[in-house]
Amino acid sequence: MPFRPVDALLPLTPIAFEILMALLDEDRHGYAVLQHVEERAGSALPLRTGTLYRALARLMDDALIEQVAGDATDPRRRYYRITALGRETAAAEARRLADQVAAARRHKLLSGSRR
Amino acid sequence: MTRRLRLRAFAALHGVLLYAYPRGFRARFADDMQSVFESRLAWALDRGAAASWLFALVSFADLLWGGLVERLAPHPHLSHPRSSLMNWDALRNDVKFSLRLMRRAPLFTALAIAALALGIGATGAIFAVANGVLLRPLPYRDPGRLVMLWSNNTHLATAGADRNPVSPANFLDYKNLSHSFSDAQAMYSFVTNESYVDGGSTDIVTAATVTPGMFALLGRSAAIGRTMQDNEQHVVVLSHAFWKRRYGGDRSVVGRTVTGSGGARSQIIGVMPEDFVFPYKTMLGASGFTTAQATDIWLPLPWSNARLLNAAGGPVRSVHFFAGIARLKPGVTAADAQRDLSQVAAQLAQTYPQTNDGWGATVVPLAQQTVGAIRPALLILLAGVGVVLLIVCANVANLVLSRSLARQRELAVRAAIGASRAQLARQSLVESLSLAIVSGAASVFVFLVSLNALRALAPADTPRINEVGATPGVFGFMALLTLVTGIFVAVLPAVASAKSDPQGALKDGGRGSTTGRSGHRLRGVLVVGELALAVMLTAGAGLLLRSFVAVMNVNPGFAADRLLTLKMSAPPRAQSGLVPFYDELFARIESIPGVVSAGGTTRMPLSSTEVSTKLEIEGIPKAPAELPEVEMRRSIGRFFTAMGIPILQGRDFTAEDRIGAPLVAIVNETLARRLFPNGHAVGSRVRMGPARPDAPWMTIVGVIGDVHHTTLEQAPKPEFYISGRQGPPGSPMLAIRTSGDPGAMAETIQRELRAFDAAMPVYDVKTMDDVRSASVSQRRFLMTLVMLFGGLAVLLAAIGVYGVMALAVSERRAEVGVRVALGATATDILGLVLSQAAALGVIGTGLGLVGALSFAPLMSHQLFGVVPFDPVTFAAVPLILMAVALAATLGPARRAMRVDPTEMLRGG
Repeated sequence: MPFRPVDALLPLTPIAFEILMALLDEDRHGYAVLQHVEERAGSALPLRTGTLYRALARLMDDALIEQVAGDATDPRRRYYRITALGRETAAAEARRLADQVAAARRHKLLSGSRR
Repeated sequence: MTRRLRLRAFAALHGVLLYAYPRGFRARFADDMQSVFESRLAWALDRGAAASWLFALVSFADLLWGGLVERLAPHPHLSHPRSSLMNWDALRNDVKFSLRLMRRAPLFTALAIAALALGIGATGAIFAVANGVLLRPLPYRDPGRLVMLWSNNTHLATAGADRNPVSPANFLDYKNLSHSFSDAQAMYSFVTNESYVDGGSTDIVTAATVTPGMFALLGRSAAIGRTMQDNEQHVVVLSHAFWKRRYGGDRSVVGRTVTGSGGARSQIIGVMPEDFVFPYKTMLGASGFTTAQATDIWLPLPWSNARLLNAAGGPVRSVHFFAGIARLKPGVTAADAQRDLSQVAAQLAQTYPQTNDGWGATVVPLAQQTVGAIRPALLILLAGVGVVLLIVCANVANLVLSRSLARQRELAVRAAIGASRAQLARQSLVESLSLAIVSGAASVFVFLVSLNALRALAPADTPRINEVGATPGVFGFMALLTLVTGIFVAVLPAVASAKSDPQGALKDGGRGSTTGRSGHRLRGVLVVGELALAVMLTAGAGLLLRSFVAVMNVNPGFAADRLLTLKMSAPPRAQSGLVPFYDELFARIESIPGVVSAGGTTRMPLSSTEVSTKLEIEGIPKAPAELPEVEMRRSIGRFFTAMGIPILQGRDFTAEDRIGAPLVAIVNETLARRLFPNGHAVGSRVRMGPARPDAPWMTIVGVIGDVHHTTLEQAPKPEFYISGRQGPPGSPMLAIRTSGDPGAMAETIQRELRAFDAAMPVYDVKTMDDVRSASVSQRRFLMTLVMLFGGLAVLLAAIGVYGVMALAVSERRAEVGVRVALGATATDILGLVLSQAAALGVIGTGLGLVGALSFAPLMSHQLFGVVPFDPVTFAAVPLILMAVALAATLGPARRAMRVDPTEMLRGG
């Protein structure tokens, strides 16, 4: 995989960003990623299996995540692990979003809805 | 449909649909995706049938869509904005555009919609039948845990000997000595015709006699009133249908007292719910039903009933007339129960060798007992209609493809002004899906019509046919079919148009005469596929047709034409002297103008059950368990004459064979051959065994020809008749030979019988031709439908060949023109076109032949008189299909032969 400056990967699609965040703390298998993303995003980001796996494929192609061997309970399962580049990219995306949110605050877009 | 089955079916389909994705993608994710789908499906299944269908449909749509997008437009980069393919505005425009296209080509659209609607609707209807009969749970509580208990008569090598009725004593031991069942109950392994008197009118009803705990075992309670309690006697429970028919749904009948056969008075205690059916015909023993279908009333069989007891007051062990039903304990499988019960049976055989030697036990899951026999036929139908649908899809895909190729110029222009390949593919996909969705809606109409037709035409003895209906699951299945059909019809043309070369089409100067090589190849592949499938279906239809002809050519052993049959019961006044009553009765019947001869028996061929007995032969002593088992009937009046059963040796019964005279018997050819290999049947003496040593012997006075009793397919069994004058039956079946049409005589004969004795119940009046026809109704039904499918397949394949060849000819006009200009004759041109069609035909029929030969053995148990690799069928079918393919080419070929070279060359 040729080296790419992280900024060239931004902005991430919302799904790609959510997947990276789901993998920050631990390796997860596909179903767990799906559940995590749906739980966090609720109905705002309904995830179909096809969409998820196409996103996973892109993330793997760009070496932001990697597939690791399955576990004993279901040998068909694959686990996904975030790479160093993935972490870096997710952080860069988070900073980018934060910048945008900060800008929105300055324009009083978020007044009264501090969360 | 059961949860496990749906899980497996959806999972399997998901596995297939994964092929929508490119190979590299599958290698990385297919297993994982399948695992995720199954986990989520399990979750959806817990939320009910509707939720699981919805989930599956959405998932499949997503899968196919994702696969298509992945194939056509894999994003090279993560940070691209959301896929423009999923843009709703663009999608809406595509739909609008598609509908406009449909309106612009009404003939094409109508044809495609009609074909798809027919395919989807018919498949849905057959699926509805398979679903209602095979997949829906039986109408009992937790029916998956119910099993039937039979005895296994290892003395008999005949079919069904492993599902022999159980004797009462053995049933009690099965129940008490086994450890697998939480409860077990019994019923008579047959139903009976009972008279049912309430007020002034008498009905003949079909009664099932059950131990009182049966309703609790099945887990069903009454809709009105209650069911039976332990040891209750003199009560009757009515079926919903009988209650409606007899009392018009009057709820106050519960509590009334009615009079049954023999004057027994019973109180109506309850009416069962409408959906409660028990027993299904197929739950009865091999000697189960008469021709009746539905049970009208349930009568109690308390264990104190005298019929269950022997002379010593204990339960009978040697007479087998029970069918057992048991509920498996939690965690116990039918196989476990079978092992358990086999041990019990072995133990009983040791303890009671006189009666139980050679008797095992059989445990059959109730669902398998009920619909196991019809299952292969329904699966054949499902496969057949599925093949028709596939051919329809191939045909419509071909139409769509032809059209999209014809529209290449338009597509080229759109590509030139900036549409991406993926966008063009999406447009094509949307077009096909719109087509499929309109067809899916139209298919509901086809579905409802076909379903009604199927229910009306299905043989009346198809188990559960009345429970077949349009359920949400069936509509879910049809929605799924519509989706898959749409994708199938869409994907091929979409891929083809994505691969097409827009510049080439534009450069072509608008003549539109060149189409991509891949388009050609694809159309060829589709037509070859259609031909192959049509060969397979037609071969199946041919085998079934030849089997049917073989069955109809079986000589039943009696003359079925000009024969009327009916059932009757001797009226009260006859009880004082049955023999003189029958003399008088037959004299009266034979005096009717148009009646040739009349007689009666206790078991009518092709329309009634069997009853067997053991036979002792004088001079050949055998242990009781070793005695040969033979079918036993009575003959009264001129039964053999009326039936047209020939007397091969000896004589018929005569008036001299009366009570007090030496006992006589007549046997059939099979019995004579098996038990008297030396040919000395006539004059030998036999008696029904095991008998007391001083029991009288019967002399065999005649040998009659064999009769196919159970079915035409089944070989005749040994039969043994006693004289009705020495043992008159109480409810005989009459055979009346007429000089003219027996159906036309039915009215007259019934009138005469009423005049003879108004109190004599007469019912089930039928011509023997109808009886014989009904005995093959299931075979006829299967054959008719498969032939219909085969005919449709041939027609569709012919249309497919025509379409491809017509297009090929119109594309090759210029080439043909050149050839003619260079001196090719009309015959050369004909040969050119036909050879192209023949190539398609040879490949298609060849592949079809291979397919048919590999699937034919699966049909073997539906075949009769032909082997699965029947040379006639397998020689004729490919020839017919080749002929059809060439015939379909004649039109296009003629057009090619008329090409005017000058015009072509000038135009070029």
